[in-house]
Amino acid sequence: MRPAVEAEKAGIPSVVVTLTNFVTVAQLAARAAGIDDLRTAEYPGAIGVHLPEIREKIINVVFDQIIDGLTKPGTGQASRAAGVFDPEEIVCRGSFDDVNRHFKGHEWTDGLPIVPPTRQRIEEFLRYTDRPPHEQVAILPQANLRAVPWNIAVNGVMAGCRPEDMPILIAAAEAIGDEHFNLNNIGTTWGITPYLLVNGPIIQQLRIEYAGQLISRGPNPALGRALGLIIRNIAGYRPGKNQMGTFGYPLAFALAENEAESPWEPYHVEHGFRREASTVTVGTTLNWGWPPSPYTRPDKSGAQSALELMCIELTKKPCLPLFAEGGPKGHISDVTFLLAPPVARALADGGYSKGQIREYVYQNAKVPVRELEWMMRYGLVEVQTVPGKVEAGLYPRDFLVGPDELVRVVSSPDIIHIVVCGDEGRNRMKTLDSGYTHFTTKEIKLPRGWGKLLAGRRA
Amino acid sequence: MSETVEVFSPVGAEVVTQGKSAPRLETLDGKTVGETWNDDFKGDVMFPVYRELLRARFPGIRIIPYTEFPASPWKGTPEHQREVARHIAKIAKEKGCDALISGNGG
Repeated sequence: MRPAVEAEKAGIPSVVVTLTNFVTVAQLAARAAGIDDLRTAEYPGAIGVHLPEIREKIINVVFDQIIDGLTKPGTGQASRAAGVFDPEEIVCRGSFDDVNRHFKGHEWTDGLPIVPPTRQRIEEFLRYTDRPPHEQVAILPQANLRAVPWNIAVNGVMAGCRPEDMPILIAAAEAIGDEHFNLNNIGTTWGITPYLLVNGPIIQQLRIEYAGQLISRGPNPALGRALGLIIRNIAGYRPGKNQMGTFGYPLAFALAENEAESPWEPYHVEHGFRREASTVTVGTTLNWGWPPSPYTRPDKSGAQSALELMCIELTKKPCLPLFAEGGPKGHISDVTFLLAPPVARALADGGYSKGQIREYVYQNAKVPVRELEWMMRYGLVEVQTVPGKVEAGLYPRDFLVGPDELVRVVSSPDIIHIVVCGDEGRNRMKTLDSGYTHFTTKEIKLPRGWGKLLAGRRA
Repeated sequence: MSETVEVFSPVGAEVVTQGKSAPRLETLDGKTVGETWNDDFKGDVMFPVYRELLRARFPGIRIIPYTEFPASPWKGTPEHQREVARHIAKIAKEKGCDALISGNGG
């Protein structure tokens, strides 16, 4: 996309070939770079797994779009300066529900109810910064919109932050606006989740949680949520438009360092800040799980790649020795594979039913015995051995082999679940390995008059 | 919850001036079309098909393949990405490209 934008600016008409669901990504990125009528040609489908179809789809769908993109006028507007925007214009008057409906309709929320950002609440936040309300704090890509204390406060109010959290939010906006962070590139299908880390005296002053369960306690959830809303509303990222994680995103989260218990200097001191200073560090993580992407290659079908990737995924589980246990005394856990539709279709086209996939993974997800031994010796609370677990009935007897021999890590095909979901244009999958629980299903029992109740809600 | 409140937008002001895109061509016949590829999403399979179809439809067309341009970056720092994108556009101009096909996004 970027070369196309530069070419347009140089007077060379261009067209960008994108995949299904990624046209908007390209257009928004181009708009942020100053061309708001980028021409695109959309390849229909997930190109990674369906190799034989490529030529036919180009001939029947893509090629004419390429020609049109280079020869037919678009619908874009003439050059225009950045618009005049009054941040203090009232955008909605109404009840809590009216405000939430309005904000949701404009895609200003993360799907959860927001605290209405009234002038009183915003001004309360603004008391906690010396910066004028409309002074530029940062310009946030991808949309390249201006972050100022006023709109940072609006997002903080919406998230449920406290007014005194404002200095943290401003520092977070500065950090994500720094090119070093690379905010421009977080919309990938990997499902990149942002988070922030607080250091310094402000941790104690504002009682930011730094110990057990920290991201889920105290003011931390609201701080994380505010970061996510700032990235949505000021950086312009929206799931399905230019935030393309195949399976979506968990909420952004917030940490603080346990500086008193750390045997080393705090993170911010390590990175050149005074110990007495308070800082915010922003980062991202793939902790929701980087979704593997099976590809069709000349030497391997997409179906076979998917099966082998599923096996590899299971051999990387952190609690492998527990996961491999079976029987009534064994550790309870299972695994659910989320398959985006193109991957499911590739497997089905390769002749695999769900049952056959489960059987394949059960038979082929293997590790050398020494890996289990190492984890049990150095990575689990109790020091156990493979023979000890066989003796206890937790592992099958065929685990009694040499250290380099391979053993199955899945105790039964029945603990593998397969669900088809996620971006229909993406060849990705995700592994959800459970802890202490089994995937359990109940029927949803509907009340009498369900249809009427629903119709009344929609009205 | 039924109290009436007045609220404000959470978004920011635009800072980028929107430029006009380049005029489209009347035809590709007799024109020079450049390709730029980001090394991803099967461009190595797709661009040869475009070339074949373009030459069949527009016999006078000249194509500059993506191999004659730097790879279009989706990695690296923002400054690096901007620099390479500008460099590609410069090369396209120098090679006399009348149009550019850029791929593959997704």
